[in-house]
Amino acid sequence: MKIQTNRRNLLLTAGLIALIAAPFLTTNNYQLYILNILGIYILLNIGLNISIGYCGQINLAVAALWGFGAYVSTLLTVDLGINFWIALPLSGLITAVLGGLIGLPSLKVRSHYLAIVTIALAGIINMVLVNEREITRGAIGIMHIPSPKIFGFEIASEFHYYYFILVMTIIGYLFARFIIDHRIGRNFIAVRDDYVAAQAMGVNTAYYQILAFAISGLYAGIAGSLYAHKINYVSPDIFGFHSMMLILTMTLIGGSGNINGSVIGAALVILNESLREFEDLQLVLYGTAVVLIVLFFPEGLVGLFDRIRQWLANRRKKIPVSEGTP
Amino acid sequence: MATLPIIVQILVGGLGIGGLYALVALGYSLLYRAMGLVNFAHGSIYMIGTYFGMIFYMGMVGGLNLPYGLCFVLGVLLTGILGIILERVFRPLADLDLMLMLLGTIGVGVVIDNLAIFIWGAQGFAVPRPLGGKPLKIAGVAIQPQMILILLVSAVLMVALNVFLKRSRIGKGMRAAAQDREIAAAMGIPVNLTNALTFAIGSGLAAAAGILAAPIVYVSPAMGGGVGVKGFAAAILGGMGSIPGAIVGGLLIGVLEGYSSAFISSEYTPAILYAVMVAVLMIKPSGIVGETTVEKV
Repeated sequence: MKIQTNRRNLLLTAGLIALIAAPFLTTNNYQLYILNILGIYILLNIGLNISIGYCGQINLAVAALWGFGAYVSTLLTVDLGINFWIALPLSGLITAVLGGLIGLPSLKVRSHYLAIVTIALAGIINMVLVNEREITRGAIGIMHIPSPKIFGFEIASEFHYYYFILVMTIIGYLFARFIIDHRIGRNFIAVRDDYVAAQAMGVNTAYYQILAFAISGLYAGIAGSLYAHKINYVSPDIFGFHSMMLILTMTLIGGSGNINGSVIGAALVILNESLREFEDLQLVLYGTAVVLIVLFFPEGLVGLFDRIRQWLANRRKKIPVSEGTP
Repeated sequence: MATLPIIVQILVGGLGIGGLYALVALGYSLLYRAMGLVNFAHGSIYMIGTYFGMIFYMGMVGGLNLPYGLCFVLGVLLTGILGIILERVFRPLADLDLMLMLLGTIGVGVVIDNLAIFIWGAQGFAVPRPLGGKPLKIAGVAIQPQMILILLVSAVLMVALNVFLKRSRIGKGMRAAAQDREIAAAMGIPVNLTNALTFAIGSGLAAAAGILAAPIVYVSPAMGGGVGVKGFAAAILGGMGSIPGAIVGGLLIGVLEGYSSAFISSEYTPAILYAVMVAVLMIKPSGIVGETTVEKV
């Protein structure tokens, strides 16, 4: 047992060093940019995963909530002159409230009905962003969003922003782990696995459903704020159905109901970006990859890793294949 | 001023557009009944079906300018064939859980949308009206000839679909397969074949809607998104899986859209439609027609 913890600590330390060293291994700004986007998608994935993967609530409004968070943070800093460090948590909280509101229909409708309801509500958020020109400047978006400053130092370059996003992503990951490993997480899973039984056992299912949606909103709001002040520009079309599709594929292909899956799934951003050289065929190839993965590896990447790990372990121990828990 | 002729005029236009939504909604409902599959690629099928018809009309295939009616038939047939191919892709999806079904069908939609962009470019085109643009005046009500064509053709298609499902042997087999897959298969109904046919009919109807709409909308690879959601909303409004429900739902959405954009706000009309759909779902999830929906788990 002791050896195992030591090995675990060693792995963690090595991982942390790799994460800190990563920017030095990149050869250009574009690669750094991808790493930063990766971090933002990890946060979005974790948020969606808590709702879809743990609580079983389909939430196709995450991209719209991401946009909403980005706009809240932008408007707070640009129009109201509020400090970024206050705007960041505020946009997380305000988006969490909207996320919870979007979750209200989940108390009445389920499965594909909930999917279309959340698509519709996301559509309404986007229409408000486009049409309320006096506040949001409409489809042209808002430029010159200030970069965050800390002790007079401006976090502006991709290099500096990397460490900021890294810290935020680690906090987001640990927070999700904490939720999942405790009572809230167990109740989420109870709601997902058997709604009626959970209710019978005294779980306030309505409360946990809304909470799951609100947590999705919290993560989306924080990711939105981080994104807006990194790109220094927001416009409604960034947060449309196309982004939702990306987040959904990352979360489900990474492994739904698994926080590590949300991290691994975000690597699909690299796949998507590397297909960019095919220009117009980029999304054709990405979509084809998604369909093939769904058809042939429906348990996701994490499931695939587990399968390989189990296969290796069985080979090493030379024991017959057992039906272990994945 | 909202005079009576204007109100009637909006009603007629709304019914026409609603007929198109109904054709799209029928695709969702047929497929849901038959395979328990919610096809999030249906809006993309509507779009590609429009292209399949209009490329022959607009001289995009070897400079061919076929008559509108022939293009209609060609587009519907080609999209039907695409439907049969898609059924083969989607067959394993129907047994997976909803999330993967969602992902798989959305993935196919992304592929179709972007193939269209790759082949024909993201820029769309306007289609000249085959019956001319001069509105007919009937008792002070101005109606576009294309609108009359839309009303007639969509009505004929809906009646034909009903007769086919109720009277023909194949149609009865399709309904049996939709009700109970295993028993239908045991009774000798080739379920995979009826499913493929269902997919072909649903896709063909979507193409029909798109080709009928082409002269009054702008044809582009992005045209499927909004119609896909509104068609879905129509299917849900009427009760998912119900054929009369899809028709009533489609007509209602069309009329609501017409009045809302005329009297409330054209910018927020989709938002209003979405809000109505959400409200109906919250109050009566089985839809307004109230037919008990087929439960597929």
